[in-house]
Amino acid sequence: MNLKATIGMETHVELDTESKMFCSCEVIESEEPNISVCPTCLGLPGALPVPNKTAIEYIVMLSLGTNCNITNEGMFHRKNYFYPDLPKNYQISQFDFPVGINGSLEIVLDEELHSVEIERVHMEEDTGKSVHEGSGRIDSAISTLLDFNRSGIPLVEVVTKPVISTSKMAVAYIEELRQLVIELGISKGKLEKGNLRFDANISVADENSNELGTKVEIKNMNSLKSLEKAIDYEIMRQSKQVEKGESVIQETRHWDENKQVTISMRTKEGSADYRYFSDPDLPNMIIDQEFIKNSKKKIQNLPTDKRKTLKESGLSLSDSNYLDKGEKWLYDLYLSTVENTKDSKSTFNFLTGELQGQMRKAEIDKLPEWVDSEKLANLINLFETNEVSFTSAKDILAKLLGEDIDPKSYASEKNLIQSSDDEEIRALVTSVVKDNQDIVERLEDPDDKLVGFLVGQVMKSSEIKVNPGTVKEVLLKELFG
Amino acid sequence: MSENFNIDDVSNLASIELSEDEKAKLQKDLQIILEHVEALKNVDIKDEKIDIHPLSKVLELRKDESKESLKHEDAMMNSPETKDGHFVVPPSIE
Amino acid sequence: MFQNKEMKPSELFEQVYETASYTESVLHAHLELFYDEGLKLSKESDRRYIKSESLGLLDGIPIAIKDNINIYGYKTTCSSKMLSNYVSPYDATVISSLKKAGIIFTGKTNLDEFAMGSSTENSAYGPTKNPWNPDYVPGGSSGGSAAVVSAGSAVASLGSDTGGSIRQPASFCGVVGFKPTYGTVSRYGLIAFASSLDQIGPITNTVDDTRIIFNEIQGYDSKDATSITPEYLKLDNKKVKVGILKEFMQEGVSEESQNEVNKVVSLLQEKGHEVTEISLPLTEMALSVYYLIAPAECSANLSRFDGVRFGIREAASTSYEMMNKTRSVGFGEEVKKRILLGTYALSAGYFDEYYGRALKVRSKIISDFKDAFEKVDFILSPTTPTPAFAFGEKTKNPLEMYLSDLCTIPANLAGLPAISIPTGLSKNALPLSVQIMGKPCSDYSVIDFAESIEEMVEFNYSANLLEENNES
Ligand SMILES: [Mg+2]
Ligand SMILES: [Zn+2]
Repeated sequence: MNLKATIGMETHVELDTESKMFCSCEVIESEEPNISVCPTCLGLPGALPVPNKTAIEYIVMLSLGTNCNITNEGMFHRKNYFYPDLPKNYQISQFDFPVGINGSLEIVLDEELHSVEIERVHMEEDTGKSVHEGSGRIDSAISTLLDFNRSGIPLVEVVTKPVISTSKMAVAYIEELRQLVIELGISKGKLEKGNLRFDANISVADENSNELGTKVEIKNMNSLKSLEKAIDYEIMRQSKQVEKGESVIQETRHWDENKQVTISMRTKEGSADYRYFSDPDLPNMIIDQEFIKNSKKKIQNLPTDKRKTLKESGLSLSDSNYLDKGEKWLYDLYLSTVENTKDSKSTFNFLTGELQGQMRKAEIDKLPEWVDSEKLANLINLFETNEVSFTSAKDILAKLLGEDIDPKSYASEKNLIQSSDDEEIRALVTSVVKDNQDIVERLEDPDDKLVGFLVGQVMKSSEIKVNPGTVKEVLLKELFG
Repeated sequence: MSENFNIDDVSNLASIELSEDEKAKLQKDLQIILEHVEALKNVDIKDEKIDIHPLSKVLELRKDESKESLKHEDAMMNSPETKDGHFVVPPSIE
Repeated sequence: MFQNKEMKPSELFEQVYETASYTESVLHAHLELFYDEGLKLSKESDRRYIKSESLGLLDGIPIAIKDNINIYGYKTTCSSKMLSNYVSPYDATVISSLKKAGIIFTGKTNLDEFAMGSSTENSAYGPTKNPWNPDYVPGGSSGGSAAVVSAGSAVASLGSDTGGSIRQPASFCGVVGFKPTYGTVSRYGLIAFASSLDQIGPITNTVDDTRIIFNEIQGYDSKDATSITPEYLKLDNKKVKVGILKEFMQEGVSEESQNEVNKVVSLLQEKGHEVTEISLPLTEMALSVYYLIAPAECSANLSRFDGVRFGIREAASTSYEMMNKTRSVGFGEEVKKRILLGTYALSAGYFDEYYGRALKVRSKIISDFKDAFEKVDFILSPTTPTPAFAFGEKTKNPLEMYLSDLCTIPANLAGLPAISIPTGLSKNALPLSVQIMGKPCSDYSVIDFAESIEEMVEFNYSANLLEENNES
């Protein structure tokens, strides 16, 4: 029996608003607990929620960015469950009228585009933070400390349909979603800060079956690496069970980063019955065309559009995706540089390989102000046309990062320009051929590897001052006529 | 209706521990009320639109501006147990 | 009163406090009295009047506040053991408004725990007695707020009304009780029972006092998303059309209560108002709708009382056990009953049958009222099916108690303004009242119309307790 895995992702995106979702407390990053809290986000008796307009704009933007239909008349629901860090013991969320439904997100996997279907995009509020204090082991806490600074921060939950088939695809999906929220400017998108938190619903079934297997929910994956490992582990665990003819239990499991396994979580709530009902504190919410239009205006450049532009410049899909997911300045620099160079691939390679590499080595994260796309294009053109060697180009770049030089004048000044003078080259070639008669005799055809060796010898004898292309041309003429 | 009413399930969901005496008394009272509300079954309710607000007010959204929060001391003043500025509860994981 | 220097605010405060000092031992209407603070503030008010800098009509007036409304720095207990130690770190919006108007708070008044009840017998701190006869209940849940006004230990009070909790006790205590249009008075800082039904309103001796206080507390509040920017309807009250609700003039409502309506009808007809009988058959479903919607909402509203951040806490070895035990010990029987009922009505498999169905019937009731108000300007009915009942009389069967809100619940379901004014006495010398319901946002017209009835009926009695004490 061949098995296939089916994965659905639920991702919580923390929105980057000034104030919280239902109160005016400032959204802060602070080690100091309970300093940005009020009666509403502490769930004190008598306090009421009033929703944040910007958060609703952001969720509309995200819904549009994931090609969802917008629900024009919706509402907020209360999701009831008792947990100490959930102040009201219900979370304000959305149930049957989420803001966005039936969308899709285009992702890149290797050299292919895939579309991940989105089921819903809904608004909710974050809980407080629990710190379990005790002997240092999570399963023997002596008490739990609660900080409600995070309580009430707006979250958007994005739920995919069960359409993802591998851990790599899940990772590509999260990367794409992350890029989207950053591009939209609605979230900081930092995984390490918990701005994006994801759960995976995984099931395994016979490849030929139309039905899905029993779904297991995996929580507590804090990085893309742990997401990938957890999914792989879980697929393996379930596959083994299915192969042995055992049934998979529907449950929630935790990814244990230390042990690199998923472990069953005993839930307190028994069978969850959230008793969703429309929140009587919050009247029906109308998202009209005007609101949607205004939200749309704030959307500038979607990752898919960026990717398209990059592809049109001549890059492959995976190179386009790399720049798309990378830092914005690099994307911008590439586009302005490639305008003045001939080859998009070598421009991409030079910027993402050489430039980024040297910057990392020099420990600078911002280009000096004199380094602009024009100078870089000039430099790339120098080695592209073989006026300087690639090695020289690297040296020029290093110099350029340190001081304001003009690459071409610098190359001439430092005598780095390679000669294309036939006379000079012919003399060098003749001399090298004479000195290497033993090799010349072994040459069989122009494609022989030894031709390269001889070219190298010529270059060496010229102290890399000649154009290797011309050298090869002259050499082949000399040898094969 | 009433044969499905399991007071243990409901008290569990509501997170209220009940003594046996309480269970008996509450079960009886709730049965009486649930029987009374059976009358609603006779009302024709098809196509009735639900507005959360009795006057059908539509939600107004708040401008995203932060305002001063509670002073930390005021936020904590009712806390049954406090440590290093946190609220403290018995462990929420086992 | 203060303007023409008949009396100084501090003198009135002392007088009210003096009354409280002998009525409270019998009535137990105040849970806490703010004597020191009140005296201090009333003296500040004195000075404002001397300097002709008074803050308005309400400057220096001593008003009592139901103990489910938050006042910064004071306890808000909701008459529950759960909140026996809870001190509010903020003011309700109505409290901020009243403070700005220079009101002096006499203290916090007793109620049925979390406003769930119709007799104040459900208070964890013991019941309040009816000032007309201490063997009888003052009604509820704002029993304390009605009793203090009736007994004179406050000039007026604020109550909250979810199914009649202002009007029913006002009726039992022979005072005026007003539930404004839903959304006209901010609920921010009112400890929620059922959010879509709750409304704060005044309890006063006269309809004019109600107008003055309502005027001060009404208005849009950006902290309450259900709050509205009211555009009040102003009716010409010279000749109005009054509907008598047939369903409240039949079996289930005592003859005594019906007679009060008939009496008022005659007076209205004498003045040339048009009175017709109307029928709203679905009002007979109101009680059932109410006893699903209110418990469902309260089951979630009261989830926050868990011993984590405030209130009492029971010791336990896990958080969950702590919450279970705290809620077990902190809540009284009626509160538990309603939480369980609401939890059940919302739970998987029962939602459509109970809560979902109740919401839809509620919608129908709302549109029935809309239709009725096409034909009439006001709807007149008894406030309560009977006058005040004795302690223990209705505690055996929950439905009997619930039925005392029969006539008041529909206004909450439909969000309508409704006022109760005393019109006469029963054969047991207990007050009887009528209720006037109006269209949404016709609050001032309802008040004006009630005032004209107040003039016609000339209800000139006052609570026995007071008279006896005054005689002695
Ligand atoms: Mg969620
Ligand atoms: Zn807050």
